[in-house]
Formats: sequence, C-alpha cells, structure tokens
Amino acid sequence: MDKSLHVVLMYLLVHLGLIFFLYPNDIISSSDEGQWLPIAIGLLFHFVLVWIYMKGLSFFPKQNIIHIYSEMGRGFAIFFLLPVFMYLMLVNIIGVRAYSEIITIIFLSNTPSWAIIILFLSISGYLAAKGVEVIFRTGILLALIFIPIIFFVSIASFQNVDWHYLFPLIDDDFHFMTTPSYMKSFSAFIGGFLFLGFTAPHLTYDRKKVLIAAALLIPFFVLAVYIPVLTFGQGTASRFMFPYIMTVDSTYINWLMFDRVTMFFILCLVTFIMLHLSLLLWMAYQIMNHWFPHQPFYSVLPFTIVIFITSIMIIDWKTVERLLWWNSFLQFYVLLTIPLSIYFIGRRRKGRT
Amino acid sequence: MDPFIKELKETFINSDDLFLHEEEILDVPVFLVGFKTLIDFTKTKVILQKYRETAISSKKSIGELLNEIGEVKEKDVKEAVSFLMTGKLLIVSNNRRKYVVIEPVPKMLNRAIEPPTNENVLQGSLSSFNEDIETNIGLIRKQINASNIRAEALSVGSEQKTKLSMLYFGGQADKKLVEKIRSSIEKNQDREINNLQNLAKALGFSGWSVISKVNTTELPSETVAFLRKGRVALFVDRYPFALILPCFLWDMFTLENDRNYPIPLMASIRLVRIFGILISLLIPALYVALVAVNPEVLRIELALSIAQSREAIPYPALVEILLMLIILELIIEASVRLPSTIGPTITMVGGIILGQAVVEAKLVSTLLIIILAATTIANSTLVGIQNSLAVRLFKYVLVILASIYGILGILGGIVLISAYFASIETFGISYLNLNYAKEGTKYG
Repeated sequence: MDKSLHVVLMYLLVHLGLIFFLYPNDIISSSDEGQWLPIAIGLLFHFVLVWIYMKGLSFFPKQNIIHIYSEMGRGFAIFFLLPVFMYLMLVNIIGVRAYSEIITIIFLSNTPSWAIIILFLSISGYLAAKGVEVIFRTGILLALIFIPIIFFVSIASFQNVDWHYLFPLIDDDFHFMTTPSYMKSFSAFIGGFLFLGFTAPHLTYDRKKVLIAAALLIPFFVLAVYIPVLTFGQGTASRFMFPYIMTVDSTYINWLMFDRVTMFFILCLVTFIMLHLSLLLWMAYQIMNHWFPHQPFYSVLPFTIVIFITSIMIIDWKTVERLLWWNSFLQFYVLLTIPLSIYFIGRRRKGRT
Repeated sequence: MDPFIKELKETFINSDDLFLHEEEILDVPVFLVGFKTLIDFTKTKVILQKYRETAISSKKSIGELLNEIGEVKEKDVKEAVSFLMTGKLLIVSNNRRKYVVIEPVPKMLNRAIEPPTNENVLQGSLSSFNEDIETNIGLIRKQINASNIRAEALSVGSEQKTKLSMLYFGGQADKKLVEKIRSSIEKNQDREINNLQNLAKALGFSGWSVISKVNTTELPSETVAFLRKGRVALFVDRYPFALILPCFLWDMFTLENDRNYPIPLMASIRLVRIFGILISLLIPALYVALVAVNPEVLRIELALSIAQSREAIPYPALVEILLMLIILELIIEASVRLPSTIGPTITMVGGIILGQAVVEAKLVSTLLIIILAATTIANSTLVGIQNSLAVRLFKYVLVILASIYGILGILGGIVLISAYFASIETFGISYLNLNYAKEGTKYG
C-alpha cells in the first residue's frame, strides 16, 4: 500500500504546526544576527536524521520500529520504547497545555484553558481511536482546506518587510549553539518525523518523496524566522513571545472584511497541531498495544484523561517553558537514539544475511 | 376437490381476489388459479385459447401442451403460494400430481417511464427509473449497449421475498467488491428489506452513520456512468432508484450530466457546489462565532454595523440562530409534506415571516436573515438529497461548537467532520477515495 501522498502531506502539516509558534522566538533570541546559520544547522540535523531514520527503516520493509525492537529482545524493546512512550506523552501534555495557553493569550481570553484542552483532547482522541489511516486521510482533507489559507497569509506577511534587516549576514561566533533557546528550537527541527517509523504495516511510502517534502519545508523554516526579523528588526522581534504571529497581526489587507487574519492563520495551524496530537496519541497506543493487545479506545481514553489532568496541573506559562526545556533533553535522547539504533540494527541485519 | 386446491384456498382464506376458474383443456377438467388483481384474466384466456387450438390441430396430448406453455412443478403448496404472490397463473388438474405455472398477461400496475421527480436534469437524457425492477434493468441496457453488463438477480426475505438485482460491468467492477456485496446479501437472507435502513443492515452497515453509504440516483444515465467507473448498482424491486456502491465524498459535487458542458463550465459548476458545502456549513457558525465570541476579528466598521443590527435583540446569538434555523427546517419539511397545490402557501407565509415580520418585530437581526437564506440556498446545491440532509445536520454541530469556542470551535468542528468523513469505509473502500476507477479496491 503505497500512500506517499498521505505521508508527505502529514509530514508537511505536522511540521507547519511546529514551525510557526515557538520556533521563531527560540531562533531569534538565540542569535543576534545571521539567523540563517542556526536555521541551516537545524535543517542539516533534520535532513541527516530523517535520512538515517528512513534508511534504517528501509532495511525492514513492512515492519515498524516496535516490531524491530521487539525482535531484538524484550529488554531491548523496553530500553528503547519506554523513553519513546514517555516522550510521546510528555509532548502531548506540553503541546496541549502550550497551545491552549497560546489560544487564550492571543484570543479567547475569557475561555478557561481547561475548556480548550477538552476540545483539543476530544478531537485528537477521537481521531486517534479511529486509527492511523483515518488520521492520514483527515490530513489530506485538512491540507486541501487550510493550506491555501496558510499560503495566502505567508505571502501577505511580506507586507512590511524591510530588506535592510537582512544584514549583517554573518554571525562569526557560534555562541547560539550553547543557548537553551536554541536547544528548544530543535523541537521544530526534529520533533515531527518520529511517526515515519510507526506507519509501516498500514501505510508505506517512497523515501524520496518524504525528502522532497522536507525540502519543501525549508522556505517555511526560513520565513518563520526572517519575516519577523525583516519586519521589526532583531531587537524588537526577540521581545515577542510569538514573533511570526505578531508580524501577521501587523499586516493590513484592504479588501478583506476581517481585521485579524492572524486568527485564521493560527487556527489553521492549530488544526494541524490537533492532527499531530492525535498522531502522538496513536503512536502511544501502538506501543501500549504491543505489550497489552487491546482496542484503541481503551488506551486512548485513559491517555486523554491522564493528559488532561496533568496539563491542568501545569499552572502557568513559566512551568510550560520549564517543561519544554526539560523535554528538549528527552527529545534529543529519543530522536538521536531511535534513528541511529534503527540504522545500526538494520546494517547489522543486512551484514548477517 | 383436490386437496392441493383445498389447501391453497385455505391459505388465501378471505382473499377475495383469488380466482379458481374451472376449465377444460383438451377435455381434461382443470383449475386456473391466480389473483384477479395481478393478472389480466381475459387476455390470458385468449392466449390460452390460441394454444389450445394449435394443440388440437397438431393433435398434441394435454401433457405436451402444458409442458409447452409453462413450467411443470410438483404439487407443493408453499412453492405454489409464492408463485401466486408473484402474479403467476397456475393450471391445476385434479388427478395429477403436478401443476403448471404459466406467465400470464399481467395487469398494468407500473408507472410509465417518466422524467425524474427528485433530480432535475438540464440538457441531458430525461428518462428515470420506475418501480419495476425489470424496467429499470432494461433502461440500463438501453442506455448503454454493452455486452459486459452483468445483472445478477438476488432475493432476500424469509416471509416476503424482495427481488434485488446487482448490476456491474464485468471486467470493470472489482471482483472482490462484487463478491463482498453478494456474500453479505446472501448471509442476510432472512432479513426483510422494506427500506434503505433494512438494506444497509443487510449489507452490514451500521444504521447510525449520518452519511449514507449508498448513493441513490433515479437517472439511468448517471447510473451507467457509475457502472462504467467500476461501481456496483443495486436495484430493489418497487424502489425507483439505483443504489450505487460504494459512495464517495466527491459524489456530492459531481453529476455525470455536468460532462455535457464544456470543461471550464463543468469545473466552475462543481466549484460552485464545493462553495455550497463550505458556505452552508460555515456561515451560520461564523455568524455565531463573530457575533458572540470573537467580534474583534471583524473590521471595526463591520463589527459595529453588525452590533447595530442586533441592538434590540433580546437573546444571545446562539438562541437567535437556532430559533430561526429550526423555523427554516420546519418550512422545508412542511413544503415536502404538503400537496403541491397548497405548497406555495407555505413559501409565501414563510417568506413573509422570514423576510420582514421577524426583523421588524426586532426578534432577529437582518444579517441573520441573509445568512439563513445563503445557508439554505447553498445547501441545496449539493448533489443528492441524502447528502444535503447530512450537511444540514453537521451545520448544527458547528454552530454549537462555535458558540462555545468561537472560531476555534468552527475549525475544530471542521477537523471533527473531516475525521468523520475519513473514518467512513464501505467494504474497505474509503469514503474520500478520489480515483476509484483507476485504483479499484486494491488499496481498500
């Protein structure tokens, strides 16, 4: 079952959801000038890891990473999959909490965030319980409906650009490498490709097409950082929590009846995030299902309840930030070990045969 | 009297339209048994007479004659009853163990082939299906002159048999799909099929799906187009529609008749229908969201003018819109119920209520009337009544979500509806399939 289109679109949507919120601020505050360098390094990581991951997976046609690890032995599976499971849950909790907070900050200031969390979790829980194929098909529909809006807004956001802010181009020291915010920005670079290893028996895809999708994302990675910088300058842009969204908010389109195009832009991205959350839930279910076979509903429901309770216990944005910071370690661990280990297991297996 | 005849009589006790006519064929006394209401008896007798004369002239025996004019059957009351019910004429002679079933001249109980009543056709072939299953299959055969149309006859029901017929293009339709449909109907042999809900059950679908999993059309030209794309058409006797399996989202926007126009026109007509679904789903929800939850999204001028139009309205936007939407649904339902002679009254009364009185009485805002009108009109652009009914229902989900979460609720609702669409599968084929003719069920 070749479903490259499904996978490619999902890949795009998941990353678009990640790129526009926290990532621009992380990059802008990590480096004062020449932001292309941190972006390029991040993208390099992205491409190398995705390539290694997919290359590793290609040694095991029709197997997902759960099968691969469990073939190596029970301890092996626990050693690798337990952190993945924890990571998935943590990302889900932080994601739900962070985006509900973002929505309350930007609009819906009267709605309590638990209500928004319920909406998030019920929709993504419903999707996750329906299974991976439904998630991917929904992705196609959402892409058809919302990607035009994203394009439109991205183009409109060039309105106030001042190209002089492009300079200076070179940041001669690499001090951004050591800043915590650069670490955090990696959640956009490497946080979205884990699902490629889970889809295997249900959907297969062409590796090249996924790489093309990754290439298509490059302009978005660049624009999300550079448009705020070009509009406000680095000094101002670094003070915003969501620089890109501020930039979009500052555009004015004469003929449109809406004053805040941002709202539609953010919400389109939020739908992509719902999709991503459902994918995370489904992956967590897959791991649980491997140890205790059961219907998706019976694990998705407890997962959503746990996520709901935990995310409500996070009281403010500071805690969210701290969690994001902690999570970036787990994230590095998971997203470096998984692709590499898959690759080496695959190589070894190939060498043996 | 023959015990067989006696038993038949007892089965149909109090059925006064059963006739038992005594006759002599070639000097053998026989009974002609049948239903007056189903058989044109006079004409049938004339034909029998002709047979008799030729038999006399060619000196045939009674056995030969009966063999020639009908099917000879062992006396079995149950079987005979079902023959009688389907409008056959039985010739029963007293002293034989067998009886003959012949095809009589039937009473004309069918409509003629008429223009469609549920689907309007612009510039296309006008004949539509009627209640008789054989006429319908004949219409298909007439519509497309192809030898590879397969028409499999099936029947369902333990007490009352319903004739079903499954049509498909041999070589074009997926064998697995045909096999799945056939086996699920055969598995549900004892179910009775009186309506589409029964049929959906017999095909193994849940009765709770909002989106109908069978597409219905009453036009042979549309049906043939579906068949050519590898779909399967089911006909149920006494149901003047072809039921197309599987059904896809894209069917909501396309008609084969669109292809009678140049391609740019076809594309724009279809685009209009896509706008139709978007507008009928989104506009009422947007109204609620923009008025009640997120007014800051609008241009200040626009927001002010909307606020002005709602100035004296005593209840929240959600109540306002639900009230009017329900009145609108009532009008639509009433105009379906009413005979066409009184129908216009409803339009007029409804028009006055909606158009003027409600606004002048300051019960709802003028903007809302515009939105309702746009919604209703947009809803009617969709192809297939069952689809526009489903969209009408989905609209309420969005309105309620919008009243809680504003625009976030609308987009969440869109995700939910998309997810629902994505989760529908008919015999393993996704509802969102776009390229069915090419791909078949191989990915199903």
